Amino acid sequence: MDESIDVDDCLRRWKEGSQAAAEELIQHLFPVISKIVRTHLPRRDDEKDLVQEILMKTFAKLHQFKGDAPITHWVSRLALTTCLDRLRAQKIRPEIRQADLTPEESDVFDAAWLTGSSPDAGAAIAARDLVDKILSSLSPEDRSLILMVDLEGRSLQEIADTMGWSISKVKMRLFRVRPHLRQMIKRLENENEQN
Amino acid sequence: MNKTDNDTWQKLLALSAPTFAGETTPPYGFVTSTLAGLRAQQSQVEACERIGWRALLASLAALAVAATLTVTLDTRDSASDFEPGVRSLVQMQNISVS
Repeated sequence: MDESIDVDDCLRRWKEGSQAAAEELIQHLFPVISKIVRTHLPRRDDEKDLVQEILMKTFAKLHQFKGDAPITHWVSRLALTTCLDRLRAQKIRPEIRQADLTPEESDVFDAAWLTGSSPDAGAAIAARDLVDKILSSLSPEDRSLILMVDLEGRSLQEIADTMGWSISKVKMRLFRVRPHLRQMIKRLENENEQN
Repeated sequence: MNKTDNDTWQKLLALSAPTFAGETTPPYGFVTSTLAGLRAQQSQVEACERIGWRALLASLAALAVAATLTVTLDTRDSASDFEPGVRSLVQMQNISVS
C-alpha cells in the first residue's frame, strides 16, 4: 500500500474533478478492499468485479466520509458490508459431509487432521476450498466473525467496530457459532475414521 | 472447541492461509476500467439531477398556473350574486333575474 498518499489532499482534488486524484485513491484503497474480498468471500467468487463495485460505492458515498477515522477503516466497513450482502444473496447453507469432499479436499483434511503438514503444492487451494465449504454452512456474519478471530486474530473491539456490533454481541455470536463449527469438524473426523 | 477439533480447524486455516492474502497492486487495466465506470456513474448522477430539477421546475410551474386559474375564477365568481350551484340552476331554467 502506498502510505505516502495524502488522503485529504486527494479527496479535495477529487472533489474538484481531478482524475489523477481518483486514480491515487483507487491505488491506495485497492489492497485493503482486495484483502477483505479475498478473506470474506469464497474463493471462486469473481473478486475483481466485486472490488470494482466496492470502489464505485466508495466514490459514490465519499461525501459522507467525515475524516474522523482513517479512510481505510471507513472503506473496510463498506467492503465487509458489501461482501456480507453478496453472501446473503447466495443463500446456500449446505451441511457438509465427508462424501461431499473432492479427493484433494479429503487428502488435505487427512493431512490437517493427522499431521498438519501439506501433502502437495496444491494443498493450499484444496484447504481453502474445504474451509469455504465448512464455512458455507454458517450465516455470512458468523463466517466473517470466525475468519476475523481465527484467521486474522483480531480483537473483540476491532471486530465490534468493523461489524458495528457491541462487544457482548460479538462474544454471544462466537459462543453460539463455535459449537456448530466444532460439530461439523467432528462429523468430518468421524466419517473420516469410518472410511 | 476442544483441542483436537481446534487443531484440525487451525491446521486447515494455516494450510489455506496463502490463499487469503490480498493483492497489493491492481491487475492490468483495472484502474482504467474503474475510472471509466466512475465517469459513467458521475454522468448518470448529473443526468438524474438535471431530470430532477426539470421535473421540479415543471411541477412548480403547473402549480403556479393552477393557483392563478383558481384565484382568477374565484374572483370572477365572487362578483356574481349567486353561489356556483345556484347560478347553474338559474342558467338551466333560464330564469330571468332582475
